[in-house]
Amino acid sequence: MIMDLENVKAQMRKGVLEFTILAVLSKGDAYATDLLNKLKESELIVVEGTLYPLLTRQKNAGLLSYRWEESTQGPPRKYYALTEKGREVLKELQASWKGLIDSVNSLVNQ
Amino acid sequence: MKKTLTINLANQVFHIDEDAFLRLRVYLDRIEGHFADTNERSDILSDIETRISELFSQRITQQKQVIVIQDVEEIIRIMGDPAEIGGGDQAETKDYARVSKPKRLYRDPDNRVLGGVCGGIGQYFKIDPLIVRILFLVVFFGFGIGLLIYIILWIVVPEARTTTQKLEMRGDPVNASNIGNFVKDEFETVKKNFQGKKK
Repeated sequence: MIMDLENVKAQMRKGVLEFTILAVLSKGDAYATDLLNKLKESELIVVEGTLYPLLTRQKNAGLLSYRWEESTQGPPRKYYALTEKGREVLKELQASWKGLIDSVNSLVNQ
Repeated sequence: MKKTLTINLANQVFHIDEDAFLRLRVYLDRIEGHFADTNERSDILSDIETRISELFSQRITQQKQVIVIQDVEEIIRIMGDPAEIGGGDQAETKDYARVSKPKRLYRDPDNRVLGGVCGGIGQYFKIDPLIVRILFLVVFFGFGIGLLIYIILWIVVPEARTTTQKLEMRGDPVNASNIGNFVKDEFETVKKNFQGKKK
C-alpha cells in the first residue's frame, strides 16, 4: 500500500493546530490575520480557511472570547483572547504534548 | 468594456466584474453549504467574508479599482476549497440526513431524443438511458403499446426545469453545497461552450 504522505502530514498539522492557536493567544490577544501570519510562517496552516471553523468552535466551547476593534484600514477587527477556561485547557494540552513528544522520541530514537 | 457590480463585503464596498462576482458567489455558497450548524455557520462565514474583504482591499489601487476574476481565483486558492477547510465533516452528515429527499421521476431535458422520458427513467433507476430506449422500442414493435405508454409518460411526468428539480431527479439531496456544485458545473459547461464557439 502506498501511503498518502500529504494526507498524513495534513492530519499531523490538524492535530496540533487547536493547541497552537491557544498557545499563540496565551502570549497576547490577536486578530485572525495575526494568527494566520504566525501559523503560516511556521507552516502549520496551508489554506487560511482552516482557521475560522477552529476559532468559532473554541469560542463556542468557552475557550476564547473576542472584542471588536476599529482598524485604520479595512473592516473592524475581531480580537480573540484566552478565557480562564482556555488557559486551563492550554495547561493540560501542554502537559500532554510534552508527554507525547517524549514517548515519540523514545520510540523513534530506540 | 466589461459590466461590473457593486458588492458589500463585511461592510466594505467593492466594484467587481460580473464573472468574478459569479465565481465568488458560488464559492461562498459552497462554504455555507459545508457547515450545517447554523450558529457556527454565520460566525464562520462572516469571519471568512471579513478576511476576503481584507484581501480584496490589498488588491485595489488607484490604477486598478475593480476586482477581477484572477483576484477571486487567487483568493480562493489562499482560503482553500470547502473540502480542504475541513471541520465540516460531522456537520455535513447531519446536513444530508436533514434535507435528503426521496427521488422523483422527471423528464430529463438535458438527455432527450423526444420528450426526455427515457433519460428521466434512466436517471431514476440509475441505468443507461440507451437501454431504456431499446426496451421501449422492443415493447413498441413486439406488443404495440410502447408508443402509447411513452406518450402517456410524456404527458404525465413533469420536466425537470429548475436546479432543485434536477437534483431531485438525480436523487441528490437539495442543499447549498450541491446547488453550488451544480451551478459551478453548469457555469463551466457554458464557459466551455462559449470558448468553443469563439475558436
